[in-house]
Parts: sequence; structure tokens; C-alpha cells
Amino acid sequence: MIRALGRAATGAVSTIVEAGEELRIHRGRVLLSLVGVAVAICALATVVAAGSIAEQAMREQQERDGGRPATYQIDLSGMSGPLDPATAAPAWETALARHGIEFAARSAQFMTDVQFADGVVSTSIEAVDPDYGPMRRVQPILGEWFADGDAGRLAPAVIVNENFWERLGSPPLETHPTVQFVGAEPRTGVVVGVVENRGQWDTDPWAYLLFDDAEALMAPSPDPMFGGLYVTYAMWLPEGDAEAIASSVVDALELELAGVDVQVSQYRTDYAAYGDDPFAQLKLVIGGVAAVVLLLGALGLLTIALVTVRTRIREIGIRRSFGATAGRVFFSVLMESVVGTFLAGVVGVGISIALVRSPLAAMALNTDDVQDLPGFPVEAAVVGIGAAVLVGALAGLIPALTAVKVKVIDAIRF
Amino acid sequence: MTLVEAHGVGRRVELPDGSRLDILQGVDLVVEEGDRISIVGRSGSGKSTLLNLLGLLDAPTDGELEFQGRDVRRLSSGARDRLRGSEVGFVFQQFNLLPGRTALQNVQTPLLYDRGSGFWQRERLAREMLERVGLGARLEAKPDRLSGGEQQRVAIARALVRKPKLILADEPTGALDLETGAEVMSLIESVADESGAALVTITHDLAIAARSNRHLRLVGGRLEPLDAAPSAPAVPAPGTLASSVDPALDERLTA
Repeated sequence: MIRALGRAATGAVSTIVEAGEELRIHRGRVLLSLVGVAVAICALATVVAAGSIAEQAMREQQERDGGRPATYQIDLSGMSGPLDPATAAPAWETALARHGIEFAARSAQFMTDVQFADGVVSTSIEAVDPDYGPMRRVQPILGEWFADGDAGRLAPAVIVNENFWERLGSPPLETHPTVQFVGAEPRTGVVVGVVENRGQWDTDPWAYLLFDDAEALMAPSPDPMFGGLYVTYAMWLPEGDAEAIASSVVDALELELAGVDVQVSQYRTDYAAYGDDPFAQLKLVIGGVAAVVLLLGALGLLTIALVTVRTRIREIGIRRSFGATAGRVFFSVLMESVVGTFLAGVVGVGISIALVRSPLAAMALNTDDVQDLPGFPVEAAVVGIGAAVLVGALAGLIPALTAVKVKVIDAIRF
Repeated sequence: MTLVEAHGVGRRVELPDGSRLDILQGVDLVVEEGDRISIVGRSGSGKSTLLNLLGLLDAPTDGELEFQGRDVRRLSSGARDRLRGSEVGFVFQQFNLLPGRTALQNVQTPLLYDRGSGFWQRERLAREMLERVGLGARLEAKPDRLSGGEQQRVAIARALVRKPKLILADEPTGALDLETGAEVMSLIESVADESGAALVTITHDLAIAARSNRHLRLVGGRLEPLDAAPSAPAVPAPGTLASSVDPALDERLTA
């Protein structure tokens, strides 16, 4: 029994040793034949990685517009228009605290006059709570987003867009540049951050102010045309329980606002609300391109492997004459292909990593706009190397079967 | 001990036009340990086919063929391969060394198929075998850097490194000059003597044939004994082959 096991182990080791030696002897040819596979795997891994970055960029853009999954918005409106923020605030705070909601933010947009060097300009102000930044992926390009300690400052913290900042003369934030809000109750704000313009179409100055600081600048009486200030109440909830929590928050608000002329409703605003994977089409296109690239690489490998086996028929015959079984020959040829393509896969993925991390790729993919830039995705490396091994096994199968069918006598005379 | 026993062995092949060709018919042969057998015959007489049958590279279509008492036709392909690897050593006319491998690697090749200690000691065994055939200084030389005689000595070392019981030599001196051919044959015989292996040589060369103690002739696929043993000639000088061969044997071979 022990002897049989020993012989089996020796057989297994010798098979691997033989396949390894074959690979070493034929390394030049193997390397040449694998150039196509390495290029294909590099393309595959690059496409998957670039796709992942593009998907992340799209996701972030959608999260800026509609919030992160799952973001729910609460609407507090009555017959006479939006509910007064001062009335809503205690109910909102109580409902959030009761549900232990970690991220929630009010936001409202209004116009106010700002004194610039060249005159007073009616400027759009977005009043927000500090959580608005992480919920909508707002990240200043200069300075910092609001901190909890910024609320209640005598000189309110202001985050301006690039147009606003340039209009102020692009002052360094270390000098604590100030902004003059003029109007019924003039105030001076301090610029603590600068955010990017929203696009090429965004040519006006605008700014973020903390909601509590902005209340003093808001119109004191309802707008005769549009009614009161419309405040958005948004919550970022854990995806699994989001629906139930949002409904419960609505119930809590209704309870808190009992007797007030208001209707409480909730709806989901993030991209994932639509059920279907919004990136499915992108993934499909990327997958299709990768599959075609890999197929071409595999065909190239198969052709070379078949031609190679034909040129090695004599060698295979010689080995058979010295006791190599058909199984040994099959395994040796298959191993050569699999080990070769595995190495080609590693090289291809390596080149792909270098490509994706290169400044050229960063320019092409506009990665500067991506906050959570994904590292080289593990799935791209795994898919690349896995596909290489699969291609090696498939492309090696036909030559290996051809090698096994060789008639020893004919092969030696070949 | 009987190594090979063939009774009424035939080998038939089907031709592309559907007709059948009998390459060997009714071959009876017994090969004992230590035998020295030469088989002569014209081209196409079936010499190589017989050698392939004896070396388990092929199976007969008719008759019974036993190797060490085992019916060859009942052995699986894998069992036949393993038996061939451990018990048979081939020496080919064209040497058939594996290109791109050193002499040492070539001689190690059969030991890769040894499931015993031979595999683990393959480098030492191959080195000793190459030293035995006088190539201790050419271990790392590749075939394209070796002369014809040296290549055949590597091929002999490779054929004998697993200490086979049966050595099958197919025109072993066919690609060598007379003097080198005689040296190579002496080497094969001395190594075979040491291990007690049987040596079956197929040859066109009458001088080589004369070195054996049993002489057989293949004529039209049938194996016939030669009546009288030829006297072993001395190593001939170049150009003196005709005078070195027993005229009687020459007459019988070419009859």
C-alpha cells in the first residue's frame, strides 16, 4: 500500500517535473506564442478596470444629483404651501433622533444680494445641514466642507463655487476672505471652502451656507408668487431597511405635527430606486469587448499550439518509445499551455495595472472627478488571470488530444 | 529466462484503397535473456515492424505475442507503455536525441517515467551512464554540438540507463562510418553483457550482423533462420567491407 502510494506520488511529481522542463526548454517559442494572449489579457483587464472606474465616476455623478443609495426625501407641504422651517425643525429633529438616523440634511435654495468689488449681485444660496456634503458627495477643491462646530459662528462659514471665488479675486483661504451679504439684515461670512462649478453651463456665482446660519438671510415673509421657502428633508438610510424606516419617519412626523396644516410624504431619490442596474448596459458593452478580445487571443494561441504539436510529433514519439504514457503526453502538452497562459495572464494584468495607473489613463478617464477612485479592481485581475488559464486549458486541449493520437511508430519516423 | 515469445505473429495493415497488406506473417521467435540476435532483410521486408512489435510499440493483428509471460494484446495501452519504459531500450538509426536538450538531459528522459528510485536519482544515474559510454566530459553538450558517433553513444546511454532486459537496435550504425559503427556496436554489446540484457539488432550491414550468435532473415514478412553462423569479422578498414564478410553469409543474405 505504502509502496503503491509512493509510486503514485513519484508519478505525479515526475509528470509535473517533465511538464516544467518542457516549458523551460521551449520557453522561447512559448513566450512568443503567448504575446497575443498577454496582450488580450492586458486588454481584458484594462477594459474591466477602466469600466470599473467609469462606473464609479457615473455612480458618483448620480449620487451628487440624487444622493447615495438609499436616500429618501420627506415632503412637508400643506394647503398654504411648504411648512415653515422653524415649525418643522423640532419635529424633524425628534423623528431623526427616535430612529437613530446618522445622516440627514435639510436643504433650501434662495436668492440673496452679495457685495462684490464690482457691485451687488443677486446670488443663489443653498442652505444645507453639514451632512449634506457626505450625502451628496460634495467635496471642496480648496478648504474644507462644513464641520459641526461651524454652526452658530458670528461670521458664518461660507463655501463658494469657483465663479464666486474668482469674483472675490481668488484669495488664498488662509487669509480668511470675507463675503458681504447685504439686505434686510447684512452679515459678513468667511469663506472656508471652494467647490467646483457644476459644469460649463454654470457661469454664475453661488454658495453654500449652513441652514441655521442662512435662516437670517432668508426672506422673512412668504414669496407672493411661489409661497414659502421650500425645504428638502433628506435622509441617507441603510439600503436593506430603508423603506420601513422612511415610512416610520413619516408616521413620527405626522404624530409630531398633529394639528398643523401639513401633509407628510416620502419618496426615494437615489439612482438605485429604479430597480434595474443602471450600469447594466455599460457592463454589457465592456464585457462584450473583453470577450471578443479574449477570443482573438485564444484563437491565436490555438493556432500556434496546433502547429507546434505537429512539429513536435517526432519528439512525442521518442518519449513514448521510452515509456511515456498517453496520459503523460496529454498532461505535458496541456500543462505547457495552461502554465504558459497563466504566466501570460500575470504579465498582461501587470501591464494593465501600469496602464490604468498611468497619467494618460487618468486623463482619458477623467479620474480627477472621482472621489473614491477604485484601486485596480481585484475582479479585473482575477477575471484576467482566470480567463488566461481557461483559454490555456481550452487552447491546450486540442493540441493535447492531437499529441495523444500520435502513432509512436509513425512519429519516430516523422 | 524467456523475454519474448512470438507464435504465428502477423501484422496486417489496411491500405487507403481498402485492400490489406500483410507486413509480417507467421513469425515465430523466442528471445531469451542474454541473447544476441541479428535480423537482416531487404528494405520493406518488415524488419522495423517486427522490432516495433518486440518493443511493444505496436500490437500484432495475428498470432500470440508474450512479453515476460504476459500476453501483449491483453495489456492496456498504459501498461504496455510502462512495461516498455522499464524493460525495453531502443537505439535508433537516426539517434533520435531530443533537440535542445543536453546529453545529460537526454539520458535522463527515460528516468522521468520511472516511478521508483530511478526518478529521484536520475541525474546521478544519467551522469554515470554517460561516463560509462565515454562522454563524461560532454554532459552539457547539445546534440548539434556532438559528432555522429557521440550522438549514438548518448542514444545508447539513454537506451540503457534504466537497465532494460531487452535492447532493440534499429540500424544502430546506419548513420556512422565503419570504424565508428564497430566501436558503437562493441559498446552496446559490452553494456548489454554487463546487465545480461538480450540484444536484437536489425541491420543491413553484414559485418554488424555477423557479431550476433543467432542470425535471422526476413523475407516477404516471414522470419527465417540463417543456416550457418558467420564468422565474426574483425573491424574492417574503410573500403574493405566486402572482404571482411563471410562470402557464404553474403550469398545467403542476398539470395
